[in-house]
Amino acid sequence: MSVEVKHLTKKFGRFVALDDVSLKVESGELVALLGPSGSGKTTLLRTIAGLEFPDPGNAQVLFYGQDVTMIPASQRQAGFAFQHYALFRHLTVFENIAFGLRVRPAGTRPSEAGIRQRVEKLLQLIQLEPLAGRYPAQLSGGQRQRVALARALAVEPKVLLLDEPFGALDAKVRKDLRRWLRNLHDEIHITTLFVTHDQEEALEVSDRVAILRAGKIEQIGTPEQIYDHPASPFVYDFLGNVNLFHGRVHEGSVMIGDTTFITAQSIAATESKAVAFVRPHDIRITREPAPPRTFPARVIRSNAAGPFAQLELERADGGDRFMAQLSKDEFQRLLPKNGEAVFVELMNVRVFGDDFSI
Amino acid sequence: MTTAASRLPQMPPPAHPRSTTESPFVRGLLIGVALLFLGLFLFLPLISVFVQAFAKGIGFYLRTLSDPMAWSAIKLTLIAAGISVPLNCVFGVAAAWAIAKFDFRGKNLLLTLIDLPFSISPVISGLIYVLVFGAQGWLGLYENADKPWFPWLANWLNDHDFHIIFAVPGIVLATIFVTFPFVARELIPLMQAQGRTEEEAARVLGASGWQTFWRVTLPNIKWGLLYGVILCNARAMGEFGAVSVVSGHIRGQTNTIPLHVEILYDEYNFTGAFAMASVLAFLALVTLALKLWIERKNAALHAAAE
Amino acid sequence: MAAPKNRVLPGFRLTLGYTILYLSLIVLIPLAAVFWKTCTLSWGQFYQVITSPQALAAYRLSFGAALLAAALNAVFGLIVAWVLVRYQFFGKKLVDALVDLPFALPTAVAGITLATLYAPDGWIGQCFAPLGIKISFTRLGVLVALTFIGLPFIVRTVQPILEDFDPEIEEAAASLGANRWQIFWRVILPTLSPALLTGFALAFARALGEYGSVVFISSNIPMKTQIVPLLIMTKLEQFDYAGATALAVVMLVFSFALLLAINVLQWWTNRYNHTGLS
Repeated sequence: MSVEVKHLTKKFGRFVALDDVSLKVESGELVALLGPSGSGKTTLLRTIAGLEFPDPGNAQVLFYGQDVTMIPASQRQAGFAFQHYALFRHLTVFENIAFGLRVRPAGTRPSEAGIRQRVEKLLQLIQLEPLAGRYPAQLSGGQRQRVALARALAVEPKVLLLDEPFGALDAKVRKDLRRWLRNLHDEIHITTLFVTHDQEEALEVSDRVAILRAGKIEQIGTPEQIYDHPASPFVYDFLGNVNLFHGRVHEGSVMIGDTTFITAQSIAATESKAVAFVRPHDIRITREPAPPRTFPARVIRSNAAGPFAQLELERADGGDRFMAQLSKDEFQRLLPKNGEAVFVELMNVRVFGDDFSI
Repeated sequence: MTTAASRLPQMPPPAHPRSTTESPFVRGLLIGVALLFLGLFLFLPLISVFVQAFAKGIGFYLRTLSDPMAWSAIKLTLIAAGISVPLNCVFGVAAAWAIAKFDFRGKNLLLTLIDLPFSISPVISGLIYVLVFGAQGWLGLYENADKPWFPWLANWLNDHDFHIIFAVPGIVLATIFVTFPFVARELIPLMQAQGRTEEEAARVLGASGWQTFWRVTLPNIKWGLLYGVILCNARAMGEFGAVSVVSGHIRGQTNTIPLHVEILYDEYNFTGAFAMASVLAFLALVTLALKLWIERKNAALHAAAE
Repeated sequence: MAAPKNRVLPGFRLTLGYTILYLSLIVLIPLAAVFWKTCTLSWGQFYQVITSPQALAAYRLSFGAALLAAALNAVFGLIVAWVLVRYQFFGKKLVDALVDLPFALPTAVAGITLATLYAPDGWIGQCFAPLGIKISFTRLGVLVALTFIGLPFIVRTVQPILEDFDPEIEEAAASLGANRWQIFWRVILPTLSPALLTGFALAFARALGEYGSVVFISSNIPMKTQIVPLLIMTKLEQFDYAGATALAVVMLVFSFALLLAINVLQWWTNRYNHTGLS
């Protein structure tokens, strides 16, 4: 069941939540909608669910080619899971999951035995069989979210929509549930869209990621694609830590201070100011200069606690401060001292013109 | 990790308006039913009080109100309210202070006792005072017995022709009984929510008990106190059942405004009865308006504090 | 040896002492008088008074009318609360404020107004007269009066719950395929029922003891339209203190039981909403 939206626009008063958004999700795909607060990702999800309606125009929401734009949520058969679960507090876990089946009109409602069977299968799937008789107030956050998912799946929806499903949980629980969600998806192959502001989550779990900003889709692609080839400074910065180096484009390569870098990008051969983006783990530090590839810098401080070593450095010529990330091995070989002068080489530099803003 | 990039200015995510609601037809139907119900039981009665009061013209209205009997009823009502409201105010503050600032056993029992008048019929509220002070009651029986309790008290009462039941003191007592919870009930949850930290801070700074109360507690509870006093007063002036039992209905002496209304009504002087009633109805409207005003002030205070 | 209880804040003994003194004088001693007086009756006499045909008829009327009035208020009060919280209409703020009128209006005023309004020649009564339905001076009138005074209870207990109701729960139910009626019946109403029950109990308790608003609209005919408080009043006027007190004891016992039930209900409500884990 593919999902497609075309030209969605939605304004709340003067605030533009969605600005001519178009997106196609193939059947069985797991797509993450990633972006900061206010970027429109939740509005997009709710519009697909039928909990919001786009502003009139040529907006369309299509489920498997069928126009469902004006069909309300109760008839769209889109399963929705809320960030704060929205479980029915007065019903047990079993009854919560069975709810969607019980409210079906008499013709399509399964028998009591059928309902029981379906719910029990789902309880197995979410591994919460012993808790079937409990009330939501007696469950942990992670358990509640699993019940919410099972409840959405019980009605066999065509599409599964998850609104920051792990947002309200602790980091460890979030990681475990992330993996669990991916396994679940591999098992039942239901078209899924989920909203998150956590880029690690999006990159780890999904088949494709759509990055939203101020109501527009900045970039959409597989996790590798958008991480390695970000289309804009915003995407680059949003997906991970980044260092910025101010320099110039000169004869087809980038000059930072007196150092020249050749990047994999093709750059116009004009003279202009540029900013180079480099990830902390793409920085090499040596004690021997190797011009023109290296430039001098000074170590401000280092911190070797944790899986990687983090170094804070300062450019010798310009005073730009930046962070480098070294593996434990590299750090052991180098053992830099605070205040020491070293030489820095930048790998995998990506350049954007200076007329951007992040 | 420092990066030189700055984040987008955060736009507040809009609150989602309710996306699921009833059809306009159902909505209209429900509003209609609600308004019809309220109209029958609320609006029409309210309007008819004033319409009936002025049915015979303003002249009649004013004459009814300035009738000496009416006037003495008004005076008595004011006296009863004037004594019971301040007394109950002091009680309410004392009880709220004891309950909110301290821990002790029996708090729940105390709270239940304070709620008592709300669950007792007004007639019984008056009855209990007749039982204590009436001629066949404790005081009366022992007054008239051969060996009265407190003979000096019995003699003093007789000498000064001081009666309680079927006289003003009885009315005041009954009024006190039915209205004493109002101030306490307003202040107790309020002071509990405010906690003790401010008062403790004042004590640590060297304030005496009274200073703490006047300078710290009172300003914090002033709106709740005012609200409780308003409710207390409205009920004190309007109490009917309990006062009816203890008053003896002696015209010109032991009639309050509600009792006077009853007398006029029983005499088939409907317009006169409504004229007196309109005074009380007006008081009720003022009470509601003051309540709204206080709530708005309170909400503004809370909004400013957050 | 236990450490002496040192209270930081002053005035404990003063305020608690004054409170207990006040309560004793105003409440406890008079209440004790009721039970004392009852003891002057023998069991047989007591039993006779409280089970006399007149008393039984009065119980039936008081109890039945109060129950029915509270039920009426439960249904319509719920609708009023729903409409006030969820919809917008002209004059809504005024209506919301006026809901408290039965709390603020003296019972005698309510009594004469309702009696006049629903009399055969009153504004409302004359709509029903051609249908042969008399309201004032009948049991129906008693019902009307008791509905009036109980009106605010349900509305004010249900309103805060409705106002705090999480919209996402309704959206979740909608996304699972439920229509508006199913959402109301299966999701919203169960959440409201503790508040509804509490309001019902409060309205019922108030209606049981109501005097002022009922005596005008009822014809107060013994065995037919006489409520228990009026029966007590009548006995007092006949100086039958013992009889009046016996009936008062019955009412007091029932009131206390109701008060207890309401407290239990409120405790149960809070337990129902209690979250065991964060």
